[in-house]
Amino acid sequence: MEQEPIKEPAAPSASSSEACTDPYLRCAFNGAALTALGISNSALLAHSPQGCEYLVNNAFASQECDYMETMTLCTKLCVDEIVHGGEDILARTIREVKDLPISALFVLSACGPEIVGDDIVGVCETLQPEVKFRLVPIECAGFRGSQYDGIDIALDTILKKLVKDNVEKVPNSVCLVAPHANANPTWPADLAWVKQVLSRMGVKVVATLTHRTPIAEIENIASAETSLLLSHDAGQKAADYLSSAYGIKQVCKGIPLPIGMTNTHRWLTALGERFDALKTTEEMVAEGERMVMATCRRKWPMARFLYRTPAAIVADATVGIPLVRFVTEEMEMTPELVALYTSQRPVRELLERELQSLGLNPKVVYGTDVYKTRKSLQEVRPQVVFGSTIERHASEGLSVAYVIEVVRMVRQFRMINREYFGYNGILNLFEYVQNEWTMGWRSKEKRYGAKW
Amino acid sequence: MRQIAIYGKGGIGKSTISSNLSAALHEIGHTVMQVGCDPKRDSTRILAEGKFIPAVLEEHREQLRVGKDEYAINLDNIVFRSPGGVYLVEAGGPEPGIGCAGRGVLTALQILKDLRAFSTYNIDVAIYDVLGDVVCGGFSMPIREGFAEEIYLICSGGFMSIYAANNIARAVQRLAKRGDAGLAGIICNSNGDEAFEHAFIPAFAKKLGTSFVQFVPRSPLIQACELEGRPLVEYAPDSREAEIFRNLAKAIIENDSRVIPTPINDLAELETMYRQCLAKK
Repeated sequence: MEQEPIKEPAAPSASSSEACTDPYLRCAFNGAALTALGISNSALLAHSPQGCEYLVNNAFASQECDYMETMTLCTKLCVDEIVHGGEDILARTIREVKDLPISALFVLSACGPEIVGDDIVGVCETLQPEVKFRLVPIECAGFRGSQYDGIDIALDTILKKLVKDNVEKVPNSVCLVAPHANANPTWPADLAWVKQVLSRMGVKVVATLTHRTPIAEIENIASAETSLLLSHDAGQKAADYLSSAYGIKQVCKGIPLPIGMTNTHRWLTALGERFDALKTTEEMVAEGERMVMATCRRKWPMARFLYRTPAAIVADATVGIPLVRFVTEEMEMTPELVALYTSQRPVRELLERELQSLGLNPKVVYGTDVYKTRKSLQEVRPQVVFGSTIERHASEGLSVAYVIEVVRMVRQFRMINREYFGYNGILNLFEYVQNEWTMGWRSKEKRYGAKW
Repeated sequence: MRQIAIYGKGGIGKSTISSNLSAALHEIGHTVMQVGCDPKRDSTRILAEGKFIPAVLEEHREQLRVGKDEYAINLDNIVFRSPGGVYLVEAGGPEPGIGCAGRGVLTALQILKDLRAFSTYNIDVAIYDVLGDVVCGGFSMPIREGFAEEIYLICSGGFMSIYAANNIARAVQRLAKRGDAGLAGIICNSNGDEAFEHAFIPAFAKKLGTSFVQFVPRSPLIQACELEGRPLVEYAPDSREAEIFRNLAKAIIENDSRVIPTPINDLAELETMYRQCLAKK
């Protein structure tokens, strides 16, 4: 059954192309809140109008904070504070919570107060002697960039403000950077897998920047020998700073994150080499690959029906780049479009290396937005899209048979965190493909429209 | 009520012309309120015997500090009457280095509206003396929010004042689509080169699609009035200069034209026009 072609949206004008209207990425304020809320036994004070606090709530959910432990506050700025400045209300709010039993209060400034010149750093310095906890001001107005810029800003402030010098190095230790800059909607599972792997290799995790991280861990971060970046989108600046300020060397730099057999093997081997645990690595790889193959034999995933199907990947770089190899090698599809939310040089270089090594030549879009995605999908006409709910809508009328929702936003609420990293991650991704394939067959329209 | 806004380059003489115009309008029987829309709050100094009157936003800030809002402001604390009878208001601004002055001007105007200042004093002409230039979106608020309906540009024969006037006309053009605001005319506050100004400014006004309303000559008497803190119609009522402001007041009252201006978008075109006029001179 032929679907009615939907009316194309008007091309965005030159002036509107810079507008922050794209749903893929939120603003810097959101990224900073996401980072600050990863520190346990702390509270967050949004120096913002109350609408911006919505982003704090969103970050709260993403970091899986416990409302019994973590408090979020807001100065709820109104027009009076825009006219006269909001420093008084900020000071009053901090004084009101001065007895909170927390170790740190993160004060985040949104667009309004930064435009009118509120000096949150000055207010925090003035009030520090009056309160029992550390005041950490983070100047992260939304207009400073995307959520990834916000993560970098917050990590920079946190490291420069909290890390103590002159601590002894812990042998075989690592600090994990930016696990939260990951579009897997249940990214804490990826972090848990990484910690499990490191534990098995006998590597001590000194600190995680940030997820349920006690402030004492942050203070002690200089004791780490190495850093391990868990995102291709944010956190590189923090890793570079740790290297230059404390001699903490980055491991697995320039290697795609461990999604799929080859990526996982390569990533684990790099870790094993650095921490002198190659034997453990070999065991983990052998066990993992055996487990995946045995499961596939027993469960019969339908991936074989998708052999050589033209596919598109629309995601952040953290999931998107490793997914290129996964889609090519595990799913045996042909990636014809790779659209990434970010466009930094390291992201471009990493993707280009991967494509070259796989001998692929898909259409590549960096810094994509929904309009560019729609136009690219229209041009490439893939049968399968690895993306989000947004692509499900963006591919309306384009005869895309399956949209595998692997990055946020996703339609289904996911109660259990499920990793993409490692060997269980491969099965989790297979499962999402399988479920979408099954759902596709429930639709009469798609069933008749499908080429097979 | 007529709502008249005076815009122009910084230092061009907007406050001097606004004050003398307010006094002249009062003399011919109008109840006039002059609203200084500048954080420096020096617009009404000439009418207030050289003194600075307290500003709306200062009073507003005091009320906020004790947990009250704008409705706690007493009109008598923000609206003053000059010895000559013109009502005076200064919007003021936030403390230096913080807050948003542009938004502050709008807040001050909104406070006047909310407290019904115009109807309380039966004002029939409000003159808004808006600072320097349209420096950001905030300062175009009096136009954007419908407080300023008739806009007069002040300029001299200096190129930069013409350039600023053209820029303001661009802002008016953009904002005029939103409501009733429009460009009502150009007033020349001479910098001394009268022959050139008489030749160029009417042509410039025509180019913008508006009219040239009045020529105000450079005069030591006007400077003396500024220094003494008194308007011309009081300080030197029989002078030629006082008569000029009376004429200006009449012209403005009789002028009901408001246009969406047609500013010159290309700086080179403006420069060429200016050069051609200089060459003729």
